[in-house]
Amino acid sequence: MATECKECKSFFPMNENPEKGDCVQRVVDPRQAYYKARPVDAGADASKCGTFSKK
Amino acid sequence: MAAEAAKDLSIQELEKEGQWWWIAEKKRSRRLDYLRKAVWKKGALGGNYAPGIKVDLEMPTLFTNMYNWWKYDPPMLRRAKALAHVLDNIGIFITDQAQLVGYFGSMPNTIAWRLDGASIVNEELYNEPGIMPEPEEESLKKVAELNSYWSGNTAVDKLARVLDPEDAVKFLSGAIGWGAPTSAYGYSGKDYEYIFAGRRGFLDIIEEIDANIEGAEDRTMGMPGPDILPLYERLQNWDAMKLILEAAIRYAGRYARLARTIAENFETDPKRKEELIRLAESCETVPAHAPQTFQQSLQYDHFIQIICRLEAHEGAWPARPDYYHWPMYDKDVNIEKNITGEEAMDLVGEFMIRAYEVGGFGPRWAREGLQGITGTWVWTLGGVNQDGSDACNDLTLAFLKAARLVRVSNPTFGFRWHPKVSDKIMREVFECIRHGLGYPSIRNDPLLIQNSMHWHGHPLEEARTWVHQACMSPCPTTKHGVQPMRMASATANCAKMVEYALHNGYDHVVQMQMGPRTGDARKYTDFEQLFSAWVQQMEWIMNTLVRTVNLGRFKDPEFYGRPFLSATYERAVESGLDAVSPVGERGNCWVTFFTWVENADSLAAVKKLVFDEKKYTMTQLMDALEANWEGCEKMRLDFVNGAPKWGNDDDYVDDLMIRCLREVARHSREMKCPCGNSWPALPENVSGNIHYASIVGALPNGRRLGDALYDGGISPGPGLDKNGPSAVLKSCGKIDHVGDGRAFLLNQRLSPTQMAGEKGYQLWKAYMRTWADLGLDHVQFNMVSDETLRAAQKDPEKYQEVIVRVAGYSAHFVDISRKTQDNIIQRTIQGI
Amino acid sequence: MKCTECGFEAPVQNFRYLYNARIDASISLRQCPQCQARLAVDELAGEATQKVGDGEAPWGKSAGIEGLAEDNAS
Repeated sequence: MATECKECKSFFPMNENPEKGDCVQRVVDPRQAYYKARPVDAGADASKCGTFSKK
Repeated sequence: MAAEAAKDLSIQELEKEGQWWWIAEKKRSRRLDYLRKAVWKKGALGGNYAPGIKVDLEMPTLFTNMYNWWKYDPPMLRRAKALAHVLDNIGIFITDQAQLVGYFGSMPNTIAWRLDGASIVNEELYNEPGIMPEPEEESLKKVAELNSYWSGNTAVDKLARVLDPEDAVKFLSGAIGWGAPTSAYGYSGKDYEYIFAGRRGFLDIIEEIDANIEGAEDRTMGMPGPDILPLYERLQNWDAMKLILEAAIRYAGRYARLARTIAENFETDPKRKEELIRLAESCETVPAHAPQTFQQSLQYDHFIQIICRLEAHEGAWPARPDYYHWPMYDKDVNIEKNITGEEAMDLVGEFMIRAYEVGGFGPRWAREGLQGITGTWVWTLGGVNQDGSDACNDLTLAFLKAARLVRVSNPTFGFRWHPKVSDKIMREVFECIRHGLGYPSIRNDPLLIQNSMHWHGHPLEEARTWVHQACMSPCPTTKHGVQPMRMASATANCAKMVEYALHNGYDHVVQMQMGPRTGDARKYTDFEQLFSAWVQQMEWIMNTLVRTVNLGRFKDPEFYGRPFLSATYERAVESGLDAVSPVGERGNCWVTFFTWVENADSLAAVKKLVFDEKKYTMTQLMDALEANWEGCEKMRLDFVNGAPKWGNDDDYVDDLMIRCLREVARHSREMKCPCGNSWPALPENVSGNIHYASIVGALPNGRRLGDALYDGGISPGPGLDKNGPSAVLKSCGKIDHVGDGRAFLLNQRLSPTQMAGEKGYQLWKAYMRTWADLGLDHVQFNMVSDETLRAAQKDPEKYQEVIVRVAGYSAHFVDISRKTQDNIIQRTIQGI
Repeated sequence: MKCTECGFEAPVQNFRYLYNARIDASISLRQCPQCQARLAVDELAGEATQKVGDGEAPWGKSAGIEGLAEDNAS
């Protein structure tokens, strides 16, 4: 079975709709540190994601 | 001075040395220090982007996908759906220590690419090595795909198909002016009276839109007649406005969710957790509702600015933060004491930093004309209330103090001076100038209010709300006063007026017949023949630019469309028309006059040396000009030093300047904008004097092709104002700053040594009294020594934070080209 | 004219004209076509006087710098 975004530590489901959520990641670039978010579906295929980390 | 050495010096020692940037580091809070240093500078260095800056491909991809999907929708609705898709899906981020959020790229080091504006801009992306995200090959493929989709379909492409072909070629030649006649580029004023003074959140506006939709639907279901026909289109526009406001609320909600996620899952510091929860509450309140706190007030403003920038490439930032955020500042700091003055200062400083980090992709010619920054964010401070009372307050002071702590080159301030401004405020204004920021510029408020009423018929109370629409031009923030588009895209390269008058309308640089054939200058037997040719060329240049921009404005709702901007404009919400539609706007256009003073100096030189003194013939002069003065150095120096120059209180040339301006003012009244109002001139330059150096041919003021032009507005040529500061003011005071044009930029350089201490302040204050007495509308100062600037040229790494006033904007000195640097250094240092 | 850096000799117009930092002075900035050095050129004499490095200004300091521009207005 394919790995899905909802199994990842970076996935944070929306309260009102757990099938959707944010992929939240910490980034430290040469000037600043920040958290970034991008919307993802809980069931999206994460098998090719380079930053996947199982919960 | 190196950082290590500066650390060991006291603030007093650093002040003595004029090392203001190190003082700022020592004085600002740890938060401001972090946030200031965290910024990725987007302004191009000379012409190139800094290493690490990448073009953002997320927004263009998201926008294009959805725009293509809704291909059968009308323009505003289609763009609203595409933009909503961006707001729902673009990557967002929250920087450590930040209390305000919102950026229009998906990462802090990205520049946004406005791809639906003009194909000629889109193609420039291929010429920028280093800015493609890795892997480069994949990004280039994506850019090619997007360009292929938009080629022929951008706003300018569509406009070019309806323009007169000759106008289109001459407008786009780059010789007579610059700018893109579309709301895709440029800037929009904000209807602050509607949003902030009216205390409306987006849900309040949606309620108004719903009521309008209901009313219109009742009518479209009722008695048939021509009056209901426009309503069908307006109903779709209202749908678009509502849709984009709802998307904006969701966009803020995404930041709220991220802030809570960080607080609940990652953050361990309890104080920061508290800040993140407050930030989340802020984004849950605004823009949905009117702000309840100072932080929310700033956040609301920033969201509006950012979403406008996701909708169009906004090159300016008309704002009046001390006026519109004052009620919440007063409540939080003075009345309820919810936050301390220091905490408020952190917010004010960060508010400036959030604007400083904003940057979009611009083609090389635009970057050369605006070196070091990505737009002219001139924020307006001071001024009067609508009843004429002094509007300065504690927040005015806070912004002036914050500017010295964060030392950004963008935004800068324009200060609306009037006789009721307190000494306390004036001292803070002076401190900013003394600290070498180059801002605030000083504007003569009573005079500019009169000017607004004279040229555009703004009623008094409306005129009193004015903000800097870009660098210089005043524009109200009201229902009928606010301006949605850069009408100043009619930006004239005025040195071409005299050049074409001398060359029978032919342009030897672009090798094309541009202006009308006004005669062979070699055959002129008296000065009036030359002047008459000059008038014809002036009118031709203004007409060509204005015609093009007028058409661009008129067709813009069809070719582009601004759903979000419309949803924040009272007149658009009320009428259901696009904000860019001329209907309902009083009209506030101006023709920006780049490279203006060369006209007066050149005409005076020809009049004196050829026609009055008969020292040279027209043939000799034309031969020298055609040779670019090569081999005629003695004669060239005669035309520089042997003829009177503007800025020396010499009536010979000053009278010619006034005569030229009166001809322009006459013609400004003849031309009309789409709203039916006048097109007055506004002489100023940004760094167009450098951009046009290689486009303007040799002139009779002694300038060669390649030399920088004068630094602009009504500023005398660098080093040519030899009679001191009062003579400059007297020359400039001969201009009627109400009737002769919209505004007039004046650059002056002062000595940091002379301006030191209390004595320096008193000298400056006396100078400013003369400036006001003589009725000038603008002045701005550079106060950095030659020694510092030359050292910065030699060792730029050590002087990264030195700021200078270029023209209508400031820039970090090390970010501008050597030619611009030399041009600034050569401005006369006036002893006052 | 002779380049002060590499000795290349050619008529002055063969040295690419860059700009004149002070319109009222006869010293301009030109570039040697052989070694690409930026040269200060005395246009009256037709002579290259020196190479111009970062932070150097052979055309002199700002007007007014040697004693501020005096207020001569009547």
